[in-house]
Amino acid sequence: MSAEASLPGLVPSAQQISAVVVEQETMATNTYRLRLRCPELARQIRPGQFFMVKEPGTNDPLLGRPFALFDIWDENGEPAGIDFGYVAIGKLTHLMTHWSPGDPVQLWGPLGNGFPEPGDGHLMMVAGGIGQTPFLAVAREALGLKTYGRPARPLDVRPSKLTLAYGVRSREFLAGIEQFTMDGLDLQIATDDGTAGHHGFVTQLLQNAIQSETPPDKVFCCGPEPMMEAVQKICLRENVACWLSLESPMACGFGACFSCVVPVRQEDGSWDYKRSCVEGPVFPAERLIFED
Amino acid sequence: MSGISVNRLEVQLNRLSLKNPILVASGTFGYAKEMQAFVDFSQLGGLIPKTITPTPRIGNKPPRTVETSSGLLNSIGLDNDGLDTFIDKHLHYLLGLGASVIANIAGKTIDDFRMMAERFASIDGVAGLELNISCPNVTGGVDMGTDPKLTEEVVRAVRESCDLPVIAKLTPNVTNVPLIAQGAKEGGADAVSLVNTFQGMAVNWRQRKPILGNGIGGLSGPAIKPLALRIVYQVASKVEIPIIGIGGISSIDDVMEFLVAGASAVQIGTANFYNPGLSSQLVVDLERICEEEDCTNISELVGTLQFPTQK
Repeated sequence: MSAEASLPGLVPSAQQISAVVVEQETMATNTYRLRLRCPELARQIRPGQFFMVKEPGTNDPLLGRPFALFDIWDENGEPAGIDFGYVAIGKLTHLMTHWSPGDPVQLWGPLGNGFPEPGDGHLMMVAGGIGQTPFLAVAREALGLKTYGRPARPLDVRPSKLTLAYGVRSREFLAGIEQFTMDGLDLQIATDDGTAGHHGFVTQLLQNAIQSETPPDKVFCCGPEPMMEAVQKICLRENVACWLSLESPMACGFGACFSCVVPVRQEDGSWDYKRSCVEGPVFPAERLIFED
Repeated sequence: MSGISVNRLEVQLNRLSLKNPILVASGTFGYAKEMQAFVDFSQLGGLIPKTITPTPRIGNKPPRTVETSSGLLNSIGLDNDGLDTFIDKHLHYLLGLGASVIANIAGKTIDDFRMMAERFASIDGVAGLELNISCPNVTGGVDMGTDPKLTEEVVRAVRESCDLPVIAKLTPNVTNVPLIAQGAKEGGADAVSLVNTFQGMAVNWRQRKPILGNGIGGLSGPAIKPLALRIVYQVASKVEIPIIGIGGISSIDDVMEFLVAGASAVQIGTANFYNPGLSSQLVVDLERICEEEDCTNISELVGTLQFPTQK
């Protein structure tokens, strides 16, 4: 169902845009970064928002696919386009690995609500796999290195501490370490096989932080569902404010199709399916119910 | 949009007048608010919000959609907040958009349809009703749209309950769609919408599981266009009733194919998901076609297909 009380992720200024590929680079094994020229989107999009990407001129693949903003890039001091990361895993993403500079791309966005303000305490970002991509813009905004959206939201306070806990299966999948290396950001790595950083799950880094002298006041999380479910459990148990950014499959991205629904807890204790695209994709952890 | 002559695109489907034949299909346009960033609503010939049922339905378990070759398989399950919420929360917004609003309703019984028709009869502003008698999830086994007699009865019940123009949206999942369309006509339908989705399935063989949460779903998108065109043509040849063509329309050429095959109007469906600005653009494109084809009204092109005859 779809009570229309509020749709925080409905963006009335979203646009359909013809973008152009500027560059593509391999970030890690099977993981790529695409840079597109699309000033209309770059001027508007904020950390945690997403956009849909479609290969133009073909019915197969038919639909767009959602991708999170990695960062915007400037030209002559003005936003000129966006960067985003992806893993080649499906029909469209495999095609995307062949995209070269000059190729046209169909986009629509910005979409979704994005992350809340970082606040003045310790903000810990917990990422799994390609779920790290939304956090570059979050970090740069929180540290005052960049602003997003016109007008940019005023951030009166900065986090006293900023941490990114980033987990992948193995060292070869670590993507964007160069970008995430910046003053003011404590980057902590976990690998399932111990080839880099902590040997084990990224959730252990969150546990450690909670037990440290400067525990996180806020957690932003994005990654595979089992990881987000574990982060939700830890944060609810330890009473840490937590937001999860979902990666639900979507057909349209703007609320028309009702495919991307997730079970969300209501104020009266009942639950209802809510559209991840227009009610999220960022939800307070306590509202989400993970199914089998 | 100056220079667009309203008259040239105006269409009349029995009692239903539309300023042009480009409509958007139920279930592919949300409640219009979702499309506000992309569509100039006032351009549209008609706007059909998501199906309304008498009481709220939570809808099916995800995954609710899966893409197939040039198509989209869905099993949303008529997720909606019910008639009261639709009237309280969505209708006022919809009626202010400058497009004819056609409410799409579905019920489990003929009484459900009758009750909803009576409610809409008491509200000013709705241009017509489209009866969704073609969604297999709602009737608990018996799908009204697969039986010409039941189709006739439900249409007649709605006709008797309100003065609004009535469209019957038919399923293609029957052997003989013209028979069902004839039933709709007998019941007093002003038009039929052809076609709803084709039942289909997607399988993950490694997991030995269907991909959709509901197992089976309905296929839409460019993949079904030839199937829909065939049905539109057959119904147009056999039954005297205005047709609204639906099925994979994603360009002005697709629109024209449906019109010449016998549709008086069309609905844009799945394309709204991957080209959200398409519907209002098609109105502009259609005006250009009128110009090129030198017609005083677009209806002159309807049913102009010349079928090859056997020598």
